[in-house]
Amino acid sequence: MLKYSLKRLAQSLVTLFIIVTIVFLLMRLMPEEGYFGQAYEKLDEAQREAILAGMGLRDPIHIQLMNFYKSLLSGDLGISNIYRPKVPISEILKAKIPYSLYFGLTAVGISLIFGVSLGIIMARSKSKIWDKLGTGYIVFINAVPAAVYYLFIQLYLTDIFKIPMLFKPDDPASWILPAISMSLGGTASYAMWMRRYMVDELNKDYVRLARAKGLRNKAIMVKHVFRNAFVPMAQYLPSTILYTIAGSIYIESLYSIPGMGGLLVDVIQRQDNTVVQALVLIYSSIGIIGLFLGDILMALFDPRINLHKKGGAR
Amino acid sequence: MGNKKINKVADGITENLFEFAEFDESEAQRAGYSNYSYWRSTWQVFIKNRVAFFCLILMIVLVTFTIIQPYLPNQKLPTKIYIDEKTNMQLRNHPPDAEFWFGTNSIGQDLWSRIWSGTRTSLLIGLAVAIWEAVVGIAVGALWGYVRALDRPITEIYNVLDNIPVTIVLILMTYILRPSMTTMIIAMCITGWLAMARFVRNLIVIIRDREYNLASKCLGTPTSRIITKNLLPYLVSVIMLRMALAIPAAIGYEVFLTYIGLGLPVSIPSLGNLINEGRALMMVPSLRYQLIFPAIVLSMITISFYVMGNAFADAADPRNHV
Amino acid sequence: MEDSKVILSVKDLVVKFKLRGRILTAIREASLDLYEGESLAIVGESGSGKSVFTKTFMGLLDANGWVDSGSIMFEGQDLAKYKTENDWIKIRGKKIAMVFQDPMTSLNPLKTIGKQVQEAVELHQGLKKEEAKKAVIEILRDVGISEPERRYKQYPHEFSGGMRQRVVIAIAVACKPRILICDEPTTALDVTIQAQILNLLKRLKDKYNLTTIYITHDLGVVANVADRIAVMYAGDIIEIGKCEEVFYNPQHPYTWALLSSLPQLGIKGKPLHSIKGTPPNLFYDIKGDAFAPRNPKALKIDFVEKPPYFTVSPTHKAKTWLLDPRAPKVEPPESIAILRKQWGLNKDE
Repeated sequence: MLKYSLKRLAQSLVTLFIIVTIVFLLMRLMPEEGYFGQAYEKLDEAQREAILAGMGLRDPIHIQLMNFYKSLLSGDLGISNIYRPKVPISEILKAKIPYSLYFGLTAVGISLIFGVSLGIIMARSKSKIWDKLGTGYIVFINAVPAAVYYLFIQLYLTDIFKIPMLFKPDDPASWILPAISMSLGGTASYAMWMRRYMVDELNKDYVRLARAKGLRNKAIMVKHVFRNAFVPMAQYLPSTILYTIAGSIYIESLYSIPGMGGLLVDVIQRQDNTVVQALVLIYSSIGIIGLFLGDILMALFDPRINLHKKGGAR
Repeated sequence: MGNKKINKVADGITENLFEFAEFDESEAQRAGYSNYSYWRSTWQVFIKNRVAFFCLILMIVLVTFTIIQPYLPNQKLPTKIYIDEKTNMQLRNHPPDAEFWFGTNSIGQDLWSRIWSGTRTSLLIGLAVAIWEAVVGIAVGALWGYVRALDRPITEIYNVLDNIPVTIVLILMTYILRPSMTTMIIAMCITGWLAMARFVRNLIVIIRDREYNLASKCLGTPTSRIITKNLLPYLVSVIMLRMALAIPAAIGYEVFLTYIGLGLPVSIPSLGNLINEGRALMMVPSLRYQLIFPAIVLSMITISFYVMGNAFADAADPRNHV
Repeated sequence: MEDSKVILSVKDLVVKFKLRGRILTAIREASLDLYEGESLAIVGESGSGKSVFTKTFMGLLDANGWVDSGSIMFEGQDLAKYKTENDWIKIRGKKIAMVFQDPMTSLNPLKTIGKQVQEAVELHQGLKKEEAKKAVIEILRDVGISEPERRYKQYPHEFSGGMRQRVVIAIAVACKPRILICDEPTTALDVTIQAQILNLLKRLKDKYNLTTIYITHDLGVVANVADRIAVMYAGDIIEIGKCEEVFYNPQHPYTWALLSSLPQLGIKGKPLHSIKGTPPNLFYDIKGDAFAPRNPKALKIDFVEKPPYFTVSPTHKAKTWLLDPRAPKVEPPESIAILRKQWGLNKDE
């Protein structure tokens, strides 16, 4: 188990390294106006070159890469040029991360609890009312773009429940809708997979043997089926996290939550390259961490997993 | 026990029944005969799913309509700005009525034609991405699965690529290449083929080693027949599923990108644009129709394709065949 | 054996399945008397209904199947009438136990085998924790698993196929049932392991005075373990008798065909004997003898009326019109005589 974790950790770091490098290289292709903002028009060619060179953007690629890593490792993510000129990005992020973190974790938590429960209910009432309702929900969430139903939730539910449309930190009611909206996608995902895995397990031979042993249905469900079905679920943890990140980009601007997602929308519209770069890096890292966590969780539950074999299909 | 039944039976039986009957070899086979045809059974199971069938009809009607809509009488141009003759001002935000079936938007354009034009655009993008996904995905997936030497390297590459959130790549690409229809299609194509390749590869790996394929080879079946009769039916259903799901996905991403500000320019109507324009006005109840109409059309399309795709995948599974 | 009592008596059992909207009759009025302490083998092709037949004794039919008519008398109760879980709980594992074919998938991969055996022990013997664990270790030792204390904590994937099957047998026997049903217990195992498992089953049968039913399509297994053999075809038992009787003096044309198909009768260079055609489609009603369409020596009446059991000896009967006094005398094919000679030669023990 320990060996597996360490090996996976090493793999994750390598992947992270590769991704960060790729992102970095891609970023070099960003339009150069993004480093200047308003000033772009006013400066002439020579001055622009000078500034770019000063930022190190004219150095040979490998030098840029090295410098980039050096600053990364010392915690320096660069400076914003447009959004908050001259302010270090890490400063900007420090204020924003808590909000994103809070909503993100809450959303993942809600998805997990409700999604898994729904999946179990659906598996137990296969083809009956709960299954049909659940399937309808899953189809809707999967088919209709999140942007659309987020909008309608904000539109109509705020009316119905008399909740403020925009987020205010001190008003607890305004925390509810964003968190719930963010968890919808993950809930659908977990419900769908949980149901599928439980139904799969129910058809397996060892369930037949358990029944032949004389175990009651309920005992079989709880002790064997649920536990076994839950194992491959761990691998969906990372995609839920990714989903939530994507969702947060919408939700944060919809509800004016001062988090990282909203920041991303802002800086894209304003073309603030350095901040875009930093955010992309952070989101990619979160994705990788999520995947790593997912694998470790799976290994915890499934004794068959070792270095060379992975139980369950991705 | 034993011969106790013989008396009862003897009543209806004459002696000549104890003669030998003619042995018909074909009769022996007939019991097991079946006129099973894979595609016919798939279609039958599919149409039994009434919801999916309804979606199919709905989509056929809708797509046909979007294609012929511009040629119908009395249709307006999507980008033409209408002037109110009485005031000589732009006919802004005019609610739906007999002339403008879906009303007009904030600069006086006819929403009905804009929506259908937008649908055409969005469907086109979806289709382009789906086809690309199919072609590249199958090609890469097949190589990945078939050629054992390529398995490790491509798997490593896949693992790296898979870790990058799709939305981030889309954002990056449209940011760098500046928004346009081509950019959007390119960006979605670059991220889309990965899933298809993985599916195809998984299937090929499973089937390649299946005994019935080895058995076919032993019997001397030519490779082309193995591919068309053994592998293809498996693949086609998965491919059609992915393609069907690619369309709602593409529309979803388009809406997302438009929302962030990286969508299509306003001059090209698309469902994403329309929803965004509608969103700007959603606080005003009387103008909400500008959001609701495109949202409904969009939902119909995405839900239908999603349902059809899944229903087809279920129907193509031989275990569900009669 | 005739003095032994009958512990399970099946009369005219009919089992149907609903499959994709159509009804399939899997068991067509099969009857069987099981004697205490005997070892019965049920043989037949795939699809003949062997497994389904025995599953009805434990209520393990799939959700889309049901007992349409007939009776299964066991300890004074008609099992065919059992419907709810509460009814079957009294039987499963406790009175009747089953060993399945594939030991790889029969065990829960995520639980230690110790826990899985203990589940059965706690359920039926009423022991708890420590005592149960001790009992489990004893059982493991009994079925031939060395170092049971260490093995207790291991997972199924750490065992070989033969070992896993021993565990499954341990689970089945843990509660000293009266009847043990073994559904193709050795089909998924290596030939060398097969012999070990069969010997284990024989030993356990003697030790715990079990009555065993073996379901198999391997006549070699039958010869090794069975006292009586029942031949199933298309959902009915068409011939049943003591092993020697059925092997040396088969009466039903299907049994002839089955025995003629044994590979050891093959002559090098000549094609092997096989039965023409395929088993009948059980979605349709079958008129007369189910095997008639494939039987070159069929009588006209075979297509009209289903044959009843005809007695060959007090322990041997077969459902074939050929045994009717009015039927012409039909000799079994040459292969049967060859078999007799072959076995006669080897019957020196």
